[in-house]
Amino acid sequence: MPLLDVKDLSVTFARRGQRTVRAVDGVSFSVEAGEVVGLVGESGCGKSVTSLALMGLLPKQRGVTVGGSAMFGDTDLLKTDERTMRDIRGRDVAMIFQDPLSSLNPVVPIGVQVTEVLARHRGLTGAKATAEAADLLNRVGIPDPTRRLKEYPHQLSGGMRQRALIAMAVACAPKLLIADEPTTALDVTIQAQILELLRDLVRDSGTALVMITHDLGVVAGMCDTVNVLYAGRVVESARRKPLFAEPRHPYTTGLLGSVPRLDSGKGAAARDPRFGAGRPAVAGRVRVRPALRPPCRRLCR
Amino acid sequence: MIRFIVRRLLQLIPTLFGLSILLFIWLRRLPGGPETAILGERGTPELRAQIRKNLGLDEPLLIQYGRFMKRMLQLDLGTSISTKREVMTEFLERFPGTVELTITAMIIAIGVGIPLGYLAARRRGSFLDSASVGGSLIGICVPVFFLAYVLKAIFSENLHLFPSSGRQDPTLGATRITNFFVLDGLMTREWDAALDALWHLVLPGIALASIPLAIIVRITRASVLEVLSEDYVRTAQSKGLTERTIRGRHILRNAMLPIVTVIGLLTGGLLSGAVLTETVFAFSGIGAFLYEAIANRDYPVLMGFIMIIAVFYVLVNLLVDVSYSLIDPRVRVR
Ligand SMILES: Nc1ncnc2c1ncn2[C@@H]1O[C@H](COP(=O)(O)OP(=O)(O)OP(=O)(O)O)[C@@H](O)[C@H]1O
Ligand code: SF4
Ligand SMILES: [Mg+2]
Repeated sequence: MPLLDVKDLSVTFARRGQRTVRAVDGVSFSVEAGEVVGLVGESGCGKSVTSLALMGLLPKQRGVTVGGSAMFGDTDLLKTDERTMRDIRGRDVAMIFQDPLSSLNPVVPIGVQVTEVLARHRGLTGAKATAEAADLLNRVGIPDPTRRLKEYPHQLSGGMRQRALIAMAVACAPKLLIADEPTTALDVTIQAQILELLRDLVRDSGTALVMITHDLGVVAGMCDTVNVLYAGRVVESARRKPLFAEPRHPYTTGLLGSVPRLDSGKGAAARDPRFGAGRPAVAGRVRVRPALRPPCRRLCR
Repeated sequence: MIRFIVRRLLQLIPTLFGLSILLFIWLRRLPGGPETAILGERGTPELRAQIRKNLGLDEPLLIQYGRFMKRMLQLDLGTSISTKREVMTEFLERFPGTVELTITAMIIAIGVGIPLGYLAARRRGSFLDSASVGGSLIGICVPVFFLAYVLKAIFSENLHLFPSSGRQDPTLGATRITNFFVLDGLMTREWDAALDALWHLVLPGIALASIPLAIIVRITRASVLEVLSEDYVRTAQSKGLTERTIRGRHILRNAMLPIVTVIGLLTGGLLSGAVLTETVFAFSGIGAFLYEAIANRDYPVLMGFIMIIAVFYVLVNLLVDVSYSLIDPRVRVR
């Protein structure tokens, strides 16, 4: 049984006087324990809404409807009551957000923002909590942690802020970590470091990671499985290697073709200009795509 | 921080100096003078001149101002023209009542306003939200003295729940130390006196609180709404924190900044605005005395009052700035 099994997730926003927005429209994917799963897609395709729905953090107001199911062990994250969700959040499922500066409370010291999770879920307080927080900062690569604990977010660099947020997210060794574009707001040189940190953390702790990104370079570097989202749907779902070698859906092909040339190692396939035009012809095989239509059966190989 | 406070207090000196010059000139140029108040319309020109001479008002403005300044430096506010008593003595007797009333009103406004504004923001669009937004509009529009009359008519004259006038029941024969009646009662352990003084504060306090309450509800609601859409609130929620931690540490702490500023401004305004409420409840604060002082052109009283209000304003603002930098580490005071 997978760690997280999302079936037919849909989210709609209805506003009076406005057209109803189907931000997420029947998304299904699953995450095995310890696996790194990518959710890829362009801006506005529903990646953030998907992750917020899983965390139960969508605005609780009229007009916001969530459908489908997301089984996490025995609990359906979409239907559990708020009290149980509060216990799950931060302890079993944690999240890292895009903009580290705005995601940290500006008027509360970093230390308090780390220890509050420890107090809430692990019952650690006082000196014990502080020691554990310093250890966490150390693990995410923040030098001089005892001093940093007393500082405020504006006193940290962008990379350090994201590291601090990661420290808070992994504080209770969650089974699942959702990272919503954790590097988009960062400087390019720091992006690689943060990704490496995330990869090492989840590998060492066996935490499963849902990596939300629009950057295929990121996917190529760390994901085991990739789900390509387009307009609120999963248009393609594949293991990393076949996806890059042999994208089935034209949107994926386009996405691969749009990867800028300057990226690292494993993205090499993505850089290949041939993907823009089509799959390379391999001897003994025929093109698959024409056989697919219509109707298009492009989901899940 | 200490340096900041000291510097702000030093800045008070030129401020007061400038203010005193402006006031001095302005007061002297008002039509009429103490002599009219004393003699009425009947006084002969000779009598008027005589009185002005006795009061030293015939001398050049500069010399009058010099005398005033010299006294000020010795913290002497002079003698009231109409009561012939030391202005300082008059103030020490009457100011505490007004300050007590102001503090009561502020406690009511803050204690009700912040929770109400917070709830309205959290339940945006609910009945509570519309009611508090609408209610605060009414609170701002209804004149304070009108509200004071209504409160008095209902709660003291009809229901007899609260006393209708005064600061304390004189038959209690309470001991006076500071002239802050509640404080005196606590200091002398005359609990009944303290309670009675508190009881007398309720209705005028509510009346005076109406406008600041309305403003605090609105500013709190707006401020909380803004903070609610901040990413760090979502982060706090994603950590599974309890509602209490999220409310106090993550929402209110950030939302407090504009609220504190407004509270500072309101408090200064209340002190000088308590006059009408005091009149309705025959509350012997500074109000009635000040009113007479204006009618009588009692220059020393008016000067002294405004100078004290100015000092008070500066102190309240200092308090606001200090709490600002305590709340927000990014606002550093040097
Ligand atoms: N609270 C909301 N009310 C109405 N519409 C919303 C709301 N939140 C998101 N949407 C809509 O849902 C859609 C998906 O948004 P989402 O934030 O998930 O995109 P995304 O894939 O995360 O994009 P990006 O890469 O820019 O972060 C968008 O069209 C957006 O306008
Ligand atoms: S069949 Fe539909 S989904 Fe498939 S390529 Fe054509 S348009 Fe796209
Ligand atoms: Mg997003």
